[in-house]
Amino acid sequence: MEPILAMKHIRKTFSSTVALGDVSLEVYPGEVRGLIGENGSGKSTISSIAAGMQKADSGEMIFRGKPWRPKSMIDALQNGVGMIVQESGTISGVTVAENIFLAELGQFKRLGVIDRKAMNRKADEALANIGVKDVRGSTPMAALDFQTRKLVEIAKVVMKQPSILVVDETSTALSQTGRDILYGIIKRFREEGKAVLFISHDLEEIMEVCDTLTVLRDGARIRDFKKEEFDPDAIRTSMIGRELQGDYYRSDFTPSRLDEVALKAEHLQSGSALKDVSIDFYRGEIVGVGGLSHCGMHTLGKILFGAERPDSGRVVTADGTKITNETVAMKQGIGYVAKDRDVESLALNTGIRDNIAVAGMERYAIGNVLITNAKEKRYADQQIQSLSIKCAGRDQLVSQLSGGNKQKVVFGKWIGRGSDILILDCPTRGVDIGVKKAMYELMTSLKKEGKTIVMISEELPELMGMADRLIIMKDGVIMKEFQRSEDLSDAEIIRYMI
Amino acid sequence: MAQSELVKKHRVRELLVALLPIAALAVLFGALCLVVNIKGYRLDMYLKIVFNEGVVLAIVATGAIFIYSLGSFDISLGASTLFSATIGVMVYNASGSLPLMILTIFGVAIGCSLLSSVLASVFHIPVFVTTVAMMSVLSAVAAQIITTNGGALGGIGIPATVVAPLDNVPFKLIALAAFALLCVFVFDFTKIGRRLKFLGSNAVCAKLSGIKVNVYAIIAFVMAGLGVGLGAFLTLVYTPSVTPTTAGSIGMNILVAIVFGGMPISGGSRSRIYAALVGGFSYILLNNILKIVIDSGAGYGISQIVSAVFFLAVVYVTSMNYRTKLLPR
Repeated sequence: MEPILAMKHIRKTFSSTVALGDVSLEVYPGEVRGLIGENGSGKSTISSIAAGMQKADSGEMIFRGKPWRPKSMIDALQNGVGMIVQESGTISGVTVAENIFLAELGQFKRLGVIDRKAMNRKADEALANIGVKDVRGSTPMAALDFQTRKLVEIAKVVMKQPSILVVDETSTALSQTGRDILYGIIKRFREEGKAVLFISHDLEEIMEVCDTLTVLRDGARIRDFKKEEFDPDAIRTSMIGRELQGDYYRSDFTPSRLDEVALKAEHLQSGSALKDVSIDFYRGEIVGVGGLSHCGMHTLGKILFGAERPDSGRVVTADGTKITNETVAMKQGIGYVAKDRDVESLALNTGIRDNIAVAGMERYAIGNVLITNAKEKRYADQQIQSLSIKCAGRDQLVSQLSGGNKQKVVFGKWIGRGSDILILDCPTRGVDIGVKKAMYELMTSLKKEGKTIVMISEELPELMGMADRLIIMKDGVIMKEFQRSEDLSDAEIIRYMI
Repeated sequence: MAQSELVKKHRVRELLVALLPIAALAVLFGALCLVVNIKGYRLDMYLKIVFNEGVVLAIVATGAIFIYSLGSFDISLGASTLFSATIGVMVYNASGSLPLMILTIFGVAIGCSLLSSVLASVFHIPVFVTTVAMMSVLSAVAAQIITTNGGALGGIGIPATVVAPLDNVPFKLIALAAFALLCVFVFDFTKIGRRLKFLGSNAVCAKLSGIKVNVYAIIAFVMAGLGVGLGAFLTLVYTPSVTPTTAGSIGMNILVAIVFGGMPISGGSRSRIYAALVGGFSYILLNNILKIVIDSGAGYGISQIVSAVFFLAVVYVTSMNYRTKLLPR
């Protein structure tokens, strides 16, 4: 059988970084091919080259038997290759319909004026086509949360009926419902003899969804696996080039904490997101907060850090200080890793050093005012070294880093300033297993130092694997609190989530 | 290609882009000397003109870097310069006190900047909008004061002898150097400057990193106000009178000058104080070269077009290195 897409000897560099050495890749009709590898292995780069987001330095591509040289993502989509990107691929200031028909508004022109009703109707159809019925084309994009924006993006791509769909680490932004929609689309593509390039860090998911698997490492194709050859240990070993020792999660199953309360949330009320939520967070404790995407846990994280104000209720520290904004929170030793990393946690077109230093200047500023380059460099280098951030240097732009290394920069920013309370919203979203393991180890060691960790996550295994206490939320209400235990079952937890 | 070679190539390219504005300044200086010689004009006279005009533009632009680093811009700086100088003249004529005049100029300039930023912060109006409104109001009020007190053509002024001792190169150089050093210190060696640049890179992330957005916006405008105050004073030192057209084009010229100096309009971490200094003098050099080459009334439009083309070319070249880095892996 002829491949639907053949990429031959693709090479790509970013400034001083070699993203792809000499990679060839084929995708066949009816195939769902997984791409897996550590952050920075080149998965997103090769798929984005296929989808017209960027051009290769050298190499050639053949799509449906003809040379494939897309000028842009729009050009690629219109000619049969669509991509759903890892981070937000939509525009906030316009409506859902305008996002979906961004490059094709002309088709709705009547006497030179855009027929918005027709455009909104078509957008509603596109959304319904993938099973999204509660979002309208006329809705402003800014009113939607991250997951729903992702679904709009999926609808936009699928509507064009591409022959190849590239799904770049999308499922981590989706709840189970969203994932079911995505898996349904993938199944449809397979049945229709089209192809899917599926990128994910979730090994279980990728083994479930894909027919074949290609492992990339450091910009090189390492090994292919057929479905019958799928073996988690073999795949992991191929990914990181060595055997991963020990457990991912904490090996103990006894909940532990110090007796001292570090932070208290008292009767928090915030629209329909939080309804009378009260929680005490203790020193030396990892508190997991889980639930479906809209359960209110993300709002809780923001309110705990003072980034959002509750309608009523309050957040206070052990000494009674009320957390009213981010500055007060930081003075009280609170750090916050946001879910939307590229927008809320990092300045992408700024260097690693500036991103790490921004929250910790008082640690090295002379008289809390004067900054010297030497001290700042030393401060940033300490974080780069202790977190093993893979980079060309402290001044490399964060936008050039892989997802996992970006997240390490965010961790460095908060750990460097010695935060005593860390609020981590989806801390392992879009990071590979190697980085995940490093982050879990870091969390365990921070716990041992007496720090308080609030881990908000949509991943049940990591909540069960890491938390001393697991709080399950639904519709803004705390449904159940579980203590860490070997007997804890995900079926029991899910019962309170849904 | 080996990794070390790529790193080397990248650094060389970054260095070249950084040096480009300085090279352009040197080329423009050479070009001015050349055209002045060809036309048979007095070079010392033109150098004096370029220096006097360049000092004012460079100083106001240096202060403005603090606003531009936020990814914002203030189009009212020219009007603020005119207004501050006008009020300064009025105060001197009423009191006869030079120190009081200087204090008034700085006070009014900082006050105008503060008003723009506070209006923007309190009413959540884009800074650009408030500064457009301020430009109109300040120009109108200054013009009204000038025409009421001295007539639109002649303007109003202070006795030339009052500021004549200061109308010399060393004083102006010291003023420029002192202000530039102050700005470099604040911008590059204090928390204020680091935070302003980060705010310009990503305001959402900056807020979530504990930076008080409104407070830092106000600080940026105060620094710009200082530059306007010094610029207004030096304008009076050069020509001890003000007319409704004094400093009228500074607002737009700053924008062009800063881009000429190699700073992106979007602000952020690539903001540099030297961009204002290099760009300010480059712009004045280019302007004077064009005035000499196209020295007729009809030539004014052509010189504007040439400036615009030059501006676009500089934006293209200085953003080349940046644009290749946009796509994440």
